[in-house]
Amino acid sequence: MMLGDRSRSGVGGILEDRPRPVPDVLMFLIIAGLMALGSVMIYSSTYIRLDEETGDPGSAMRKQLVFAVAGLVTYLVCSMVDYRLYRRFQVPIYICLMLALFLVLFASPQKGATRWIPVGPFQFQPSEFAKVALIVVLAALLAPEAGRLLTWKRLGRALLAAALPGFLIFRQPDLGTMLVVGFITIGMLFVARSSIRQMLVLGVAGVVGAFAMFQLDILRSYQANRLSGFFDQTADLQGVNWNLNQSQIAIGSGQLFGRGLFQGTQTRLSFIPSQTTDFIFTAVGEQFGFIGSAAVILAYAILIWRVLIVAIGSPNAFGTLISVGMASLLSFHVFVNIGMTVGLVPVTGLPLPFMSAGGSAMIAMSGGLGIVNSVWRSRSPVGEREPNDFW
Amino acid sequence: MREQPPQPIREPRNLSWRVGVLAVIFTVGLSLLFFRLWYVQLATGEVWAREADQNIVSVEPIPARRGDIVDRNGLLLATSVPNLVIEIDRAVLPLEVEDEVIQRLAAILDVSPVEVRQAVERTPSGQVASLIGFEINADTAYLILEQRSTLPGVEVRALPIRGYPNSSLMGHVLGHMGLPSPEDLERLTTPYIDTPVGKLGVEREYDPFLQGTPGKTAYRIDPEGNILELIGTVDPVPGSTVRLTLDADLQREVERILIEAVDLSNAIKAEQEITDPDEIPPPTERSTALVMEINTGAIRAMASYPTFEPEGFVGGIDVETFEELSDRQAFNNLAIQGLKPPASTFKTITYVTAMEESIFPEGVSSPEETIECSARLSADFTDDSQLLWRNWTFPEADGDQNLHDAFRRSCNIYFWEVALSIWDRYARTDREGIVQEWASALGLGRPTQVDLPFEQEGILGNRQLFEEWQENQPWRVRQEGWLGGDLMNLVVGQGPIVTTPLQMAVAYASLMNGGSVYQPRVAEAIETAEGERIRTLGPRLLRTVDISPSTVESLRRDMTAVVSSGTARRAFQDMGPMVDLVGGKTGTAQSFVDQEGQFHDSTAWFIGMAPMDSPRWVVVVMVDEGGSGGAVAAPAARAIFQYLFGEEVIPLAPGEDTER
Repeated sequence: MMLGDRSRSGVGGILEDRPRPVPDVLMFLIIAGLMALGSVMIYSSTYIRLDEETGDPGSAMRKQLVFAVAGLVTYLVCSMVDYRLYRRFQVPIYICLMLALFLVLFASPQKGATRWIPVGPFQFQPSEFAKVALIVVLAALLAPEAGRLLTWKRLGRALLAAALPGFLIFRQPDLGTMLVVGFITIGMLFVARSSIRQMLVLGVAGVVGAFAMFQLDILRSYQANRLSGFFDQTADLQGVNWNLNQSQIAIGSGQLFGRGLFQGTQTRLSFIPSQTTDFIFTAVGEQFGFIGSAAVILAYAILIWRVLIVAIGSPNAFGTLISVGMASLLSFHVFVNIGMTVGLVPVTGLPLPFMSAGGSAMIAMSGGLGIVNSVWRSRSPVGEREPNDFW
Repeated sequence: MREQPPQPIREPRNLSWRVGVLAVIFTVGLSLLFFRLWYVQLATGEVWAREADQNIVSVEPIPARRGDIVDRNGLLLATSVPNLVIEIDRAVLPLEVEDEVIQRLAAILDVSPVEVRQAVERTPSGQVASLIGFEINADTAYLILEQRSTLPGVEVRALPIRGYPNSSLMGHVLGHMGLPSPEDLERLTTPYIDTPVGKLGVEREYDPFLQGTPGKTAYRIDPEGNILELIGTVDPVPGSTVRLTLDADLQREVERILIEAVDLSNAIKAEQEITDPDEIPPPTERSTALVMEINTGAIRAMASYPTFEPEGFVGGIDVETFEELSDRQAFNNLAIQGLKPPASTFKTITYVTAMEESIFPEGVSSPEETIECSARLSADFTDDSQLLWRNWTFPEADGDQNLHDAFRRSCNIYFWEVALSIWDRYARTDREGIVQEWASALGLGRPTQVDLPFEQEGILGNRQLFEEWQENQPWRVRQEGWLGGDLMNLVVGQGPIVTTPLQMAVAYASLMNGGSVYQPRVAEAIETAEGERIRTLGPRLLRTVDISPSTVESLRRDMTAVVSSGTARRAFQDMGPMVDLVGGKTGTAQSFVDQEGQFHDSTAWFIGMAPMDSPRWVVVVMVDEGGSGGAVAAPAARAIFQYLFGEEVIPLAPGEDTER
């Protein structure tokens, strides 16, 4: 749109001869690479068990590959769609995300939580999509106020928009996802020019809220156990710290070069619960060692860096804020997920982006990065700064 | 929120520092991961690696106890009993000592080492071999456990196996177990390739409830297979108990009576003087009976003869036994799979159609008016076809009869005349199929939805079906398509109609209770292993059929008349005072010669109900190629009713040979 306007105005008539901005190939390659690695990791930690139970060692991996392809297609489609379109549809998007989060509360519980809605043979997890949708809605809410600091009114509106889905997610219960929502919101508010005072007030409110949750018994007992277990990792090795201990043994035993693909005794014997979902990183750690683990973290760092570059290069605040939101989402997931497997943070069920088994997170995050890529493609091709309503 | 017009005023300060701050925070976070990984994998990695080397975790599944199946009074019908089994983990047993261990084990078991080796080698190396088929008692088990240090990889485990305390009782309803087939693995949610699953009957239908969830134990073992410590145990969740609607005592009596009915049928056949050698009937081999509650659909007894012992499948059935049982069709539950023409028992449906739609023979306008039940009927159809039909009393006529008499005496002529009236009035209109519509509403030609697998739905012919067949299976139908003669056949339960005994039970029960069609079911409830009820399964009303109370009342009277003075009179004459409370209908499907020239005798039906003042039970007896319904099936039903009324069950005696 903006390009069209410029060429029509005659200022950039020569622009028509210049190539349109290419999509971010690096981003695409990293995503596809992580997906492929994740699928191999899933195979390495399921093939023995599946072969014994069903005689079909590859079923979990094949399912994941289907999700990966669906994710890449979603990424490409979202790259093609002009992201500015979402701004017009922010209200329907918000209604849909609330509706899905509300409906999921009535689904039948699995593993003690109602996070999934069965759709045919698949389990649809609305909260994964809700995160990306919320980023778009928050970006739309915060973007228009250019050139000035954030007013309290607008801040309150954004907080409310984030708090409602946050509450529904907490009811599932899904503490991890609720924390992600909080982190994204704070990151986006910060970039949307909130004042120091506003950030301080938010920080104090957050601490008080967390304290209240502990004191008022709002947390489920297992959530409290995981937290207290985290602070005393030697206690109860067979109970709450089971995951943590097993996952550290697996990762630690990888040492520098790892035990080699399909050589990891810990992951192969699949006794780490949620081995293919939340604890998929243990498979990388054991089989590929420190070199492989560091490479994976580096890949995520490059991905996040690319997204932040898009944030700075975006021609408008909406695109900047979407990119900032997606960068926050990715960083938080990566930090909490890997941190949990190495005993850095308490156990919370957040998937490792593009690697953990499961379709909802895969497709939602691919879609989110597709939108970021759409922002990238619409920036000025000549490198000069567009009239950004932000800076 | 609308997009605002572009802001002309620009913020002078470059604020991308805010994104920069975020970037710093993210970098710090990822660096923390990096350093923590460095600490875990490099600084302390050797410690973890040593732990991992010792930490060959051996995970052993703990099978869940399969739930029991009990009868309505809680009598145990299927249960799981612990059974000691030797297992050899070939991953743990070093190859170089395998021979030695096998010899030592054979010595303890007092069998030849060759046998043990064969049993071990049935399982590929690296996996756990179960030595099924070796007698192990507690003493042997202790002996093995004591010598464990010299028997690496050898374990004694208590594996539950399925037991059926009442041998073949209720065999078809209970079904049997077997190792999962590829289809089973596809069908079931959490199958294990070496855990038997339900293959037939309740064992199959309620497998998800019976199966339970296996647990597991994780040991830390050293490379030699010694257990270092117990890491953790996930307890198995035992399967639920399925409580059936069936009554084991009643079932036992019904199964006994069925065998008696087959004997009675063969005794009658032996007495028959048959001149034509091509018409000597083969001996009667199969029969079925069921008792169902009219107002709930609960099946109180369901038997099929010949039967089989479910326990024969535990640990695998041998080929000869299987083929022998299979040849005799012993695995067929005739009550839900035996498709036969319902013959005169279908006249009840025609009767109801006539009453409800006010369609009577030509010149007759009420159920009370009579026509002559002549010896034969010749019919001219509008399509120029002409047929000559004989009543079963041929060459005798059976006097003047109205609808009630015709039902009691099972007069074909009257019902054929009804069919002719329908044909004359409605042929090729949308009301042509009113009889089939009533039959279908009452449950014929469609699944009864009974909670047992592999139910047959039968055939209920009409013009549409014949047209479909002409498309897909042209060899099944003649070229002219649906004709008046087909309808005439159908109204007396012959020709293009086959049903299962259970479908007939559902139809009769729905008529007697005023039009409520219930799902017939064999399971009453799902309970925990401790007997606490988790889920009650019925009654489940499938649909209601609009039928006037006067028709029901009239049918009730005429069914009683069948027993007191009609085709079933002689079969019930010795029943005693309770006979006044019984009603029903006989049926005798025509004998025929098949394409290979084999003569097939008539199939005997009786469908009875009691007590007629407020009907509670429907009893269906079908003796496959057993002769006349009045002679063979009705006496068997009489015996079942005697049991239901708590009277002494007197031996079967031949009833009247009718409808042939």
